[in-house]
Amino acid sequence: MNIDVRHIAKLSRLHLNEKEIPKFTEEMEKILAMVEQLPPIEGEGTLLDPDHPMELREDKAETLYRRDELLANAPEVEAGCVVVPKVVD
Amino acid sequence: MELYEYSAAKLSAMMEQGEISARELCESVLNRIETTDREVRAYLTLQKEEALKQADEVDKLRRSGEALPPLAGIPVGIKDNICTKGLRTTCASRMLHNFVPPYDATVIKKLRAQYAVIPGKLNMDEFAMGSSTETSYFQKTANPHDLTRIPGGSSGGSAAAVAAGSAVVALGSDTGGSIRQPASLCGVVGLKPTYGAVSRFGLVAFASSLDQIGSFGRTVEDAALLYDAVCGPDPMDATSVRRDVTPITPQLHPSVKGLKIGLPHEYFEEGVEESTKNAVMNAAAELEKAGAELIPLSLPSTGYGLSAYYIIASAEASSNLARFDGVKYGYRTEHFETLEQMYENTRSEGFGDEVKRRILLGTFVLSSGYYDAYYKRAKMLQQQMTREFVSVFEQCDLLLTPTTPYTAFKLGERIDDPLMMYRCDVCTVPVNIAGLPAVSLPCGRDDMGLPIGMQLIGPHFSEARLLNTAYSYEKLIGGFPPMPRLSGKEGAK
Amino acid sequence: MKQGYEMVVGLEIHAELNTDSKIYCSCHNAFGLEVNSQCCPICMGMPGTLPTLNSRVVDSAVKMGHALHCSINRICKQDRKNYFYPDLPKAYQISQFDVPLCEHGYVNIMVDGKQKKIGVTRIHIEEDAGKLLHGDSFGGTLVDFNRCGVPLIEIVSEPDMRSSAEAKAYLDAIKAILQHLDISDCKMQEGSIRCDVNVSVHKEGEPFGTRCEMKNVNTFSGAVRAIEYEANRQIELLEQGESISQETRRWDDSRGKSFLLRSKEDAQDYRYFPEPDLLTIVLSAERVESLKEGIGELPNDRMARLMREYRLSQGDATLLVEVPEKADLFEAAAAIGKAKADELVKWIVGDISKYLNDTGKPISDFAITPVQLSDLAEAVTSGKISSTAGKTVLDVILFEDKSVEAVIEEKGLAQISDTGALEEIVLEVLKNNEKSVQDYRGGKTNALGYLVGQCMRLTKGKGNPTLMKELLIKHL
Repeated sequence: MNIDVRHIAKLSRLHLNEKEIPKFTEEMEKILAMVEQLPPIEGEGTLLDPDHPMELREDKAETLYRRDELLANAPEVEAGCVVVPKVVD
Repeated sequence: MELYEYSAAKLSAMMEQGEISARELCESVLNRIETTDREVRAYLTLQKEEALKQADEVDKLRRSGEALPPLAGIPVGIKDNICTKGLRTTCASRMLHNFVPPYDATVIKKLRAQYAVIPGKLNMDEFAMGSSTETSYFQKTANPHDLTRIPGGSSGGSAAAVAAGSAVVALGSDTGGSIRQPASLCGVVGLKPTYGAVSRFGLVAFASSLDQIGSFGRTVEDAALLYDAVCGPDPMDATSVRRDVTPITPQLHPSVKGLKIGLPHEYFEEGVEESTKNAVMNAAAELEKAGAELIPLSLPSTGYGLSAYYIIASAEASSNLARFDGVKYGYRTEHFETLEQMYENTRSEGFGDEVKRRILLGTFVLSSGYYDAYYKRAKMLQQQMTREFVSVFEQCDLLLTPTTPYTAFKLGERIDDPLMMYRCDVCTVPVNIAGLPAVSLPCGRDDMGLPIGMQLIGPHFSEARLLNTAYSYEKLIGGFPPMPRLSGKEGAK
Repeated sequence: MKQGYEMVVGLEIHAELNTDSKIYCSCHNAFGLEVNSQCCPICMGMPGTLPTLNSRVVDSAVKMGHALHCSINRICKQDRKNYFYPDLPKAYQISQFDVPLCEHGYVNIMVDGKQKKIGVTRIHIEEDAGKLLHGDSFGGTLVDFNRCGVPLIEIVSEPDMRSSAEAKAYLDAIKAILQHLDISDCKMQEGSIRCDVNVSVHKEGEPFGTRCEMKNVNTFSGAVRAIEYEANRQIELLEQGESISQETRRWDDSRGKSFLLRSKEDAQDYRYFPEPDLLTIVLSAERVESLKEGIGELPNDRMARLMREYRLSQGDATLLVEVPEKADLFEAAAAIGKAKADELVKWIVGDISKYLNDTGKPISDFAITPVQLSDLAEAVTSGKISSTAGKTVLDVILFEDKSVEAVIEEKGLAQISDTGALEEIVLEVLKNNEKSVQDYRGGKTNALGYLVGQCMRLTKGKGNPTLMKELLIKHL
């Protein structure tokens, strides 16, 4: 199994340096070699589980938090907002 | 005997009788932390003043004649991936080194409502990924039975604190063995409840479909007491199961007569140390003598458990940990100009290698073209393994297995070999995959004197049966061995 | 569009639902409030928090499913769509991937008086993202999380539209249904309804071309412009012998242009997988069935019926159905059988609508009843009162519960249609306006208007103008 670790790292928003790439590639290949020993399995692989239905929440609104509490952990705050580097969209 | 050495059940009775105060108990535990934690390094964050205040509140309520729940005044250590309002919650990661949640996890709300005392937050593997607590960004926790060895993981801080007496009981979380494996290695009792028995709200997610909060105690009764205090349905957690809950602790009574105990041979095969096999088989013999019936049986898919586990857990982790991006909370890199640089550098600097490995693996198995081959197949395997468990529970009431293939290894011995580390979990992951409850309890020592643990696995929501069987065993052997003597430095304040 | 080409259009509409709380937490679902004031740890994606699904979101989506003749998947699930962006605090959007709540439906649209069926592929529920705020004076971008977790339904059409007019008719039909069901506010200016547009072109008789998707289309008129721009852009490329590459483009309505966002090669890999924090959605057959109740006749069906039954034009039918209360008033008045349908429509889309627009109030705030409207229209058509007097009557009956007859009486608005009485007045006017009479006779025919006006003045506006005109001509 060849893994494009650079691509996967990009998707994961992880920066790997040149030394780390071969290390992670090798480790991932070993792990995948273990993981690939899955047997052939029967079944359609549907991931629905109607035997355990979800209870839904009633549509009732409430305000429980103040803005300053919610932004207290933010690395950078300006005018009641979290700040990120300029985004051009 | 010092107060910190007693069981929670005993301490609760002593406080109720007015023999001791919550403050005296709290001081005893805080002193124990003071004297041992420089060596054990179980705590990441302490709140001594707050703990004493909580203890004083209990004493005040008690003096006013109020009837208090059993956990009132008991110091409960909390794994640092469980959110505590106003108290730093780090997941042992640089990424959350400064994160102070503005909310309590549901289990913490419950503990507060029952007047438990919270001395502080306990070390763990970073984001609960690991089996030795060595992946913590902050410190390595030592096994109180041998300070050169690992306590197991990921709830290593919780297991070590309870073993060392620096907490009376503790909460941990278990995704693939993270409660049972360190409990086994530290010689304490660890309960991983049925998936959905305890609310996950406020537990920082590693693998949402496998994570479950559970309890540590030095006795079975203590583990049961803490479980009783935190279990039950929660409208804030859609995966918590709506059901009636009756406390287990008052029902505990030593009896295994007629109990059918299955012994799945796959759990006693390659890789399991002889001393461990022997200890577990001796325990089985004890239970048989007391009237239980032993049934050898087979769970053929066991060997695939680790594969399915690493695919599902990593896939969910890659998504769950994507929110740590330096925008809203936690660590943010200083090295960036663009948004992309901020994302990449924050995450690369904020996460350790084990976390990165799992994120990469999880991203890979979910990525376009690989989903069916990995994730979907693993989920199908999960269904198959669950069916296997359901069918063996038609033949027996519960299963008995080793908790871990081997006892505590040396700090640093395996940290550079991820696969070797992953194999620690071979006996524990199938339980998470099938969402079953299981308890690990001490069942002897190896020739180095290190604790060996055995695991009891039951059908969904059979916690009462599991704990009762564990309790019976504890009584049969006349109680578990006393707390380890910590080295000569003990007492040097 | 250039001759010989055909365009194929498919639309993805995102509509915000008007629930009280957000989709996965109990924060208020409210627009336009102070930044980051409608948030909690759950919608801000804080560690350890978990979603719980709002039942009304499911109900609204099922209602829409019924209205669009979809089959409802009573057993379905939610999935995570993973991507990094500052307005998405969890770095994944909870949506539905392979098993949406509703599938395989259609909606009838009306273009140039003809009905056409547009297929609806699916309707699914998902959460909205936050908003990024950019300031010129500020070096960074600000993030407001208020909109995070606002419930959305995404309605995906089949590529069944062949012109921008059809696309517009489809958008109007969907919007009318959302409003009819009262599940979305459909306020364009608040972005509560937005769409992505898929366009391809091909030569007539040839297979469909490669499609491009355009994002950021925020108004229906913008959608029309975007579709036309895109079709022309693609045709030009083809005419130059180039091929179309599948890409995602961004529509800039102010510049009337689209720009490449990403090509197929760097298509996002969203790594969808089932949301493990939520269980399977299981709806009972009874619940799904009960959501059909109260849907009533859909706006597009009603429009077709009004055109058929009352022979209304598509334009009039549209104007009535757009505001269901207007159509209700119309039908109730028409049912009385006294006044002509087109006269009733004139009153409703004309003077009554002007009142509604000027005051910004709904019809229900006014006193007018179907009987009053019917009487009013009849009084004017039969010549009992002039159309000017009709407006005076309307001024009263909009606010007071009085019969039209009583108002006419009270205000003395009845037209004098008695030829004998009018003749006297005509003769008097002719006598007193020698000059005008001379002018008329000398060929200045517009002097007649002045003379009619003089008659009107003497009858205090009550003379039947048609009759008076006839009498004037007779005596001139």
